[in-house]
Amino acid sequence: MSVQRLPHHPRPRVGETAVLAGLSKTDVVSTAERMPARPQSVEELSTRLGEQAYLADRGLGTAIFLSLSLGQPLLLEGEAGVGKTEVAKSLAAALGAELVRLQCYEGIDAHQALYEWDYTRQLLYIRLLQEGRELREDAADEIFGPRFLVERPLLQAVRAGDRAVLLIDEIDRADDEFEAFLLEMLSDFQVTVPELGTIRAERPPAVVLTSNRTRELHDALKRRCLYHWIDYPSLDREVEILAARAPTVPADLARRVAAAVDRIRTLDLVKAPGVAETIEWAKALAFLGATRLERDAVDVTLGTVVKDHDDLVRIRDDLGRILADD
Amino acid sequence: MTDADDGVTRVLPALAGFGRELRAAGLPVGTGQVLSFCQGLAHLDPTDLRDIYWSGRACLVSRHDDLAAYDNAFAHYFLGDAGPRHLVPSDGSPPVDAHQARPDALAPATGSERRPDAESVGQSASEVELLRDKDFADCDPDELAAIGRLMAGLVIATPKRKTRRTERSRKGVRPDLRRALRTQVRRGGADLRIPRRRARVRARPLVLLLDVSGSMSSYSRALLQFAYAVARGPSRVEVFCFGTRLTRVSGALARRDPDEALRRAAETVVDWQGGTRIGESMREYLRTWAWRGGFRGGVVVVCSDGLERGDPDVLAAAMARLSRLAHRVIWVNPLKAGPEYAPATRGMRAALPHVDLLVSGHNLANLAGLGAVLEALD
Repeated sequence: MSVQRLPHHPRPRVGETAVLAGLSKTDVVSTAERMPARPQSVEELSTRLGEQAYLADRGLGTAIFLSLSLGQPLLLEGEAGVGKTEVAKSLAAALGAELVRLQCYEGIDAHQALYEWDYTRQLLYIRLLQEGRELREDAADEIFGPRFLVERPLLQAVRAGDRAVLLIDEIDRADDEFEAFLLEMLSDFQVTVPELGTIRAERPPAVVLTSNRTRELHDALKRRCLYHWIDYPSLDREVEILAARAPTVPADLARRVAAAVDRIRTLDLVKAPGVAETIEWAKALAFLGATRLERDAVDVTLGTVVKDHDDLVRIRDDLGRILADD
Repeated sequence: MTDADDGVTRVLPALAGFGRELRAAGLPVGTGQVLSFCQGLAHLDPTDLRDIYWSGRACLVSRHDDLAAYDNAFAHYFLGDAGPRHLVPSDGSPPVDAHQARPDALAPATGSERRPDAESVGQSASEVELLRDKDFADCDPDELAAIGRLMAGLVIATPKRKTRRTERSRKGVRPDLRRALRTQVRRGGADLRIPRRRARVRARPLVLLLDVSGSMSSYSRALLQFAYAVARGPSRVEVFCFGTRLTRVSGALARRDPDEALRRAAETVVDWQGGTRIGESMREYLRTWAWRGGFRGGVVVVCSDGLERGDPDVLAAAMARLSRLAHRVIWVNPLKAGPEYAPATRGMRAALPHVDLLVSGHNLANLAGLGAVLEALD
């Protein structure tokens, strides 16, 4: 956990310390720094994502483009492993922006998402003050100053403004109260630290939310967002993805792997393999020097693509059909 | 951008009309969403149907389940008889080829093919499914009175589990540094006590899987009332009915009025008194619902006589997986009359190794009895 220093705030004069550093002060983050211009069309955006080895189809491209143009968050849903998180990573790279990631989990609260005071260091510092010199009058400001503030992802994103892509990952895992908090956060992009003042993003960051649909999100949050459902890619698209993401895999093998995964997905499995698994499998096979789906190589690498015991048994039974053309 | 703005202004009535069309189709489309849609098209080409399709899908739909309805409404509004003329630009540029607009868009989703839907599961059932609604709301006065009593006094809680959140507690193990700091500052470092916190606890979710096949429906009805009562307590409850197929009735039960709730639940279930395919139904539950986070670590109550007409191996595999996902699995079997009961049916024998607790049907006579069983779980 690192403490990032905030730019120095003018410390209030001694007479003012009763009101801890100006509540009304607004710290507007400047975004004058140079970065590549935002894409002007869906095609340009798709090309730039393509340069980051992310192949977005027209629907996804349009959704991302609109999200950037309208300044609305983009909510992505889809089966696990279809590349939801990857969208944000590639988008950040394509925009030359910093990726700020907030991983949600059950019980996450505002402090873990916004900022926290570094209590341990504050306690130590108080000790030091007591032992060393007399207690200075402005010690309280120092203790609740930027030095002891631990920035969490949302505050980071607000400070970075449009130089950041904020990824709020697996929002469905957080509880509803946190969702309500996020809703507020996403509508005005400002954070108030009572001791320091209000920090606002002049131009809000691009926001991508992902959900695995483990529960329905609240309607209010959904209405604020643009929505896109990412499906498993078609066979041809998956071959292209393999070519982009795993260039070391021979084209012929890539096609066979994609075709096999396509057939595996039609089986009735506990967890159908996602795109990430396809890539891993192709890489593993290529690493072992396989040029086609030989039974032995498949047998030892199957664990990269299917990760449930029942599913493995199921597929081993059906291996002949899955490897049909090999 | 001004060209595009002009374009949008020209088609604006048509776009707003599409919003109304979607609402008519039952999609919850807000004015703000329609606004986003129109603004978004100003950044795109409002005469290109593909742009309209995709931006509409991003702006106006917010649930995966609504996508099919959206596609239908889109096809009807923009591609049907009433549609495309709204969009032919008046400046003489060529009209959009409607059917090219959505080649990839309206192709059947590969993801949905993977799951055999409830329909096909139902058709393959060996028994002829009795597709008729049974009027479930016709509870006799005693039953209604029972519900009334349950609602009035009984609060049934499932076992608790720890959450990641914490609360203040004297006996907690985690030091509360935030509070400690405040005390230190206030008392000048003289106070040596360290306030503590402990993990908060929360009731585990309860999942009821009720057999509504011929032999079981009266018991299931009692259990449904039970579910209704539990849902008023602190635990989250999900209720599913199954015969030849699985139906989720939790939504229907979330009504204030017990009459109305039970009536709706009865309407939702389509295969009252058909055959039983327990294994298939369990699998359906596992595939569609159980992996969703909220159910993990819950208490699952299966109410069935275990008269399986499908493959017992399927049931055994499904129960094994269920027992791994759930905290406790309770099987309520009305055929288990006394302690000397030995599971005779194939289905019961297959399921039993994965069941934590087998409860007799007697307890059902008194709904609070099952409540006591639940509360006694660890």
